[in-house]
Amino acid sequence: MSRALAGRGDTVMLIVRTGVALLGAALVGAIFLLLDGVDLAFAFEEILNQSVGSSFAIKNSLIDAVPITLVGLGVAVAFRAGIFNLGGEGQIYMGALAAVLVVLNLSGLPGPLLILLGLVAGMVGGGLWGGIAGGLRSRLGLSEIITTIMLNFIAFWIVSYLVRGPIQDPGGAGYPYTEEIPTKAELPVIGGMIPLGAVLLVVAAALIWVLLERTRMGISIKSLGAGEAAGRFAGLKVERTGFNVLLIAGLLGGLAGAASLLGNEGRLSDFFSPGWGFIGVMTALIGRGTAIGTLVAGLMIGFLTSGISGAQSAAGIPTATAQILLGVFVLFLIIVNTDVVVRYLRRAAASLRRAER
Amino acid sequence: MSEFLDVLGSTALYATAIRLALPILFAALGEVFAERAGLVNVGLEGMMLMGAFAGVIGAHYTGSPWLGAVIGMLAAIGIAAIQAGVSINLSGDQIVVGIALNLAVLGITSFLARAIWEGGDVPKVDGFSAFSMPLLSGLPVIGSILFKQSVLIYVAIAVAVFSWWVLTRTSWGLRLRACGEDPHSADSLGIPVFAYRWKAMMICGALAGLGGVFLSLGQLFTFSDNMSGGRGFIALAVVIIARWSPLRALGAAFLFGAFEAFALRVQVTDIDVPAELMLALPYVVTLLVYAGVVGRSRPPKSLGREYSRG
Repeated sequence: MSRALAGRGDTVMLIVRTGVALLGAALVGAIFLLLDGVDLAFAFEEILNQSVGSSFAIKNSLIDAVPITLVGLGVAVAFRAGIFNLGGEGQIYMGALAAVLVVLNLSGLPGPLLILLGLVAGMVGGGLWGGIAGGLRSRLGLSEIITTIMLNFIAFWIVSYLVRGPIQDPGGAGYPYTEEIPTKAELPVIGGMIPLGAVLLVVAAALIWVLLERTRMGISIKSLGAGEAAGRFAGLKVERTGFNVLLIAGLLGGLAGAASLLGNEGRLSDFFSPGWGFIGVMTALIGRGTAIGTLVAGLMIGFLTSGISGAQSAAGIPTATAQILLGVFVLFLIIVNTDVVVRYLRRAAASLRRAER
Repeated sequence: MSEFLDVLGSTALYATAIRLALPILFAALGEVFAERAGLVNVGLEGMMLMGAFAGVIGAHYTGSPWLGAVIGMLAAIGIAAIQAGVSINLSGDQIVVGIALNLAVLGITSFLARAIWEGGDVPKVDGFSAFSMPLLSGLPVIGSILFKQSVLIYVAIAVAVFSWWVLTRTSWGLRLRACGEDPHSADSLGIPVFAYRWKAMMICGALAGLGGVFLSLGQLFTFSDNMSGGRGFIALAVVIIARWSPLRALGAAFLFGAFEAFALRVQVTDIDVPAELMLALPYVVTLLVYAGVVGRSRPPKSLGREYSRG
């Protein structure tokens, strides 16, 4: 299971595949744009401009890439252990909740300290949510597929309750959101182009790479992915590793929530995440469960999302078509990666057969 | 406190509970067939969502909720066919395929809703409304609980009993279960494992689709994004809690319907409980009950394992 996903030297292929997907998506997207009577050349130029055309555009694209990539990294780690973290959405909400509580209540502290505490709180909140799923799995044998989904809904309704009651912005005319965080708690943007969240992203991807490829825990994660029976036979603490990966996924999901809160959104609402948890699952799948792959996939999706949404009004692209463009792109990314999906499925089957004997 | 008791004592609570249990029950019954044949179908959620969506499309364009139900079931069977093809014939990981299908259906349905209706504003359609059984609906207490319901309620109960009979009392059911327990032995006895697993998955798709149809055409009379809201996953938990028995699934699904109904009924009383926290209740209960039973239930032996000859 893990070997198929971990293949090295895949980076070049990743770029080639992504290029093919981009081209395919552009061709299919062009048809929809023509149907809408959009000036094609102008639309594509505008999408490119809004995606990478200026330091402002690059900043926005990176901001879009931050939450999906961080969640995606958590999904990828779990995936390598054969564990399915579908709890990104709940981890994001709990992370953002913890971060907003800390930042609003300790607003007397100096900015850098406040930011640090906010990010750490986010990881604690998300880690708690991931850890619950991990504990239920390792202690009681509950399937994380069911528990993480239930925890998503529970987290959402907790946040929904809080932002409509105890922590609602008193000056917000009844809208379901919290007060805005103080300006000094906002994540800085380096040189007007690189948001701090993007730096976190690269650091996180590097750490996950080290974890998976250079540590003992990485070995147990990957051998757990190759089949539990095999892992147990080799003396691995399977339950422990199962808990660890869900905890790590939770930390990353919580960080995603906190980074979006401090880096962009500024306040918590119950429409905080537009499905980042699930886009993160796709990001990890497209990135083939590797740290670098997930980082590249997340950046790609971030740049395209930002480009399309930025170009929408200038180029007269209807909202529905904008969604088609993104959907088609992700679809193409999945299609060009099918061989890996199939290879991965075959290996998984083979490792199960080995484990049975 | 006495107001809580009032809610618990009201017949409306139980009538609502049955109505809310229905989508979960249909999906869980479908999943029992799949899992008894050895297939974990995580795509249940996607099948329900597709059923809910295609049901509304069908009812909108044909003007008949019954035709809508058929179209919803067919669409869900289509999703089930993908799940079956990849996981049975291509030996794909059942869980990966299911998760991918859930994501795909979520994307496709919310996208199509926007492509068909501006802003994704799906209009109201004719659905299955409650139907008062002559004579029986006049009975005290149980009259309004059991006999002022949509006809599909009786279909669901009949399906549950019939599923139990088929799985435990017929040779077809015995062979199906053999495919879930020990496909190698089943194969050596001449049972076509792939064919049985395909049939089980088709039944699962049809029932999950019907569950989704009831969600849209029996409760809200329209479609909204992600309207299955995790019920497919609750149904997965119901199957485990019911220990893979269709009759126990009837009870377990009703339990969840009751908690959801309780959460809704409490809102219309003077009891001061935050609505949002009550809405989290069914998910909390699912976690707790699931945690309580999991060690004590034994799944079919070859559940989740792909089968290939040789």
